[in-house]
Amino acid sequence: MEIKICIGSACHLKGSYDVIKNCQSYIETNQLESEIELKSAFCLGRCSEAVSVQVDGSEVFSISPETAEGFMKMMHTRIKL
Amino acid sequence: MDKVPHYIDLSTHSLNKYGEELCGDKVEIIKGNKRTIVALADGLGSGVKANILATLTSKMMITMLEQGADLKETIDTITNTLPICQVRKIGYSTFSILDIDDELNLRIIEYDNPPAFIVRRGNLLNVPKTQLTSFDKKVWITEFKLELGDTITLCSDGVIHAGVGVMLNHGWEWQHVGDFIAEQEIASADKLTRRLLETCNKLYDGKPGDDATVVTLRVRDPQITQILTGPPDLKEKDSITVRNFMHQSGAKVVCGGTAANIIARELGREIETEIEYIDPFVPPTAHIKGIDLVTEGVLTLKMTLNKLISINNCCDEPVFHKKDGVSRLLKLLIEDSTHVHFWVGRAINPAHQNPDFPRDLSIKINIIREIEKELKKMGKFVHIFYTD
Repeated sequence: MEIKICIGSACHLKGSYDVIKNCQSYIETNQLESEIELKSAFCLGRCSEAVSVQVDGSEVFSISPETAEGFMKMMHTRIKL
Repeated sequence: MDKVPHYIDLSTHSLNKYGEELCGDKVEIIKGNKRTIVALADGLGSGVKANILATLTSKMMITMLEQGADLKETIDTITNTLPICQVRKIGYSTFSILDIDDELNLRIIEYDNPPAFIVRRGNLLNVPKTQLTSFDKKVWITEFKLELGDTITLCSDGVIHAGVGVMLNHGWEWQHVGDFIAEQEIASADKLTRRLLETCNKLYDGKPGDDATVVTLRVRDPQITQILTGPPDLKEKDSITVRNFMHQSGAKVVCGGTAANIIARELGREIETEIEYIDPFVPPTAHIKGIDLVTEGVLTLKMTLNKLISINNCCDEPVFHKKDGVSRLLKLLIEDSTHVHFWVGRAINPAHQNPDFPRDLSIKINIIREIEKELKKMGKFVHIFYTD
C-alpha cells in the first residue's frame, strides 16, 4: 500500500509535519515497513480539506495530526483483509 | 534581452563605532549602463558631525563627477564647501572613488583613505599611481583596465585599525587585510564585504573603536537564476510556459507545488518529493530531473523574504549549511546569482481560497516584489516576468 501525504502550502500549514510523524510512528510501532510505503506529494488538489492523504494513487482522505493514528488503523485493517 | 558580457557586482556595508547610532562613513553608488561610480567618504570624528561631512563629500563628488565635472574642480568645490569643525578648525573628510566605464576602464581617486586593494587571480596588485594636487590636498589617481574576476576593495581606516591596542598592537594593518582579501575564494561581492566586516568586528571584540566601511567591487560573469513560481491562468499556456522556461540559460528553480506538478507533467518526468523534514517549519523540497531546486511556494518564499530582510539589516556573513528549501534558495540567490528572473503566473491557487489560509500569504506577487526589493539592495539584477 502506498500512502502519499500532501506537503503543499495549505496542508503544510494544517500540520503535514505532524501527520507524517504520527504515521511514521504507527508504521514503526506495528512493524508495517514492508507493507506500507509512506511518501509525500505536492498539491493533491484538495486544499480546502487539508491535510490531504492519497492511498494507492486514487482515494484521497482528509486527515489531521489528531486523526492520523485512527486513519492508519483503518489502513492497517484494510491490509489485513 | 541583450547579452551582458560582464557584471559589476557591488556591495557595501558599515560597522558603526561602538555606541554610535550614525555612521561617520558614507558610500554613494551610481550604477548606470555606461558608467558606474562609487564614492566612499570618511568624515572627521564620529557621530553626527562625521556623518554630515561624509554625506556631503560623497554626495557632492558623485553628483559632480556623474554630471561630467572635472576632477580638480570637484575636489576644489569640496574643499571650499565643507563646514569647519569648531573644535578642530578644519572641515575634512577623506574619500575614495571608483569610476568605471562600460569597457571596464577603471579610475581610482584617493585622498587620505587606506589605498584600494586590487586583487587579480589571488594576488594583491601594485598598480602605479599619479599624484594630483588641489590646494594642499594630495590626491592619488590609479588608472587601469579591469579583467574578469578582478576584485577591488575600498575601506575606511576603521578596517585597517581593527583591533588596535586590544587584540593587535598595530591594528589589522593594510598588508594583512590585503592578504586576507587575496586568500578568499568567494564569488559574491556581498559575501566578501560581510566576511571582512565580521572579521573587523571580531578584532574589535564586538565594540568597534571607529566606523568601519567596506566597498567590494567584483567583475563577474553574469549568473542567472530562473525562478518559476506559479502557473499561468490559462491551462493551455502551461506547455508553452514550461518550454520557454526550460530554454532559458542559468540555474532553474521552481517554487510552488502546483507549478512543480505542471513542469513534471509537461516534461514527462517524475517528481519525487522528500518525506523527511530537515526543518519542521520549512516544507520539504522535491526533485525533478533538469531542475536545480524544487520547493513549495508561498511559505518558502515568505520565509526566504523574512530571512533576506534580517540579512539586510546587519552586516554579518550569513551561513547556509542546512539543506532545507529556504536555506538552499537563499544560498542560490545570495551567493551564486547576479541576475534573478522570476516567472509569475496569474492562476488562482485553490489552496489560497481556503478561508483559514493566512491572508498576507495569498498574494504571492506581493512577496515576490518584496524579495525583489531586498535582492536589489544586495546588488542583484532582478526581473519579474508575467507568463500571462
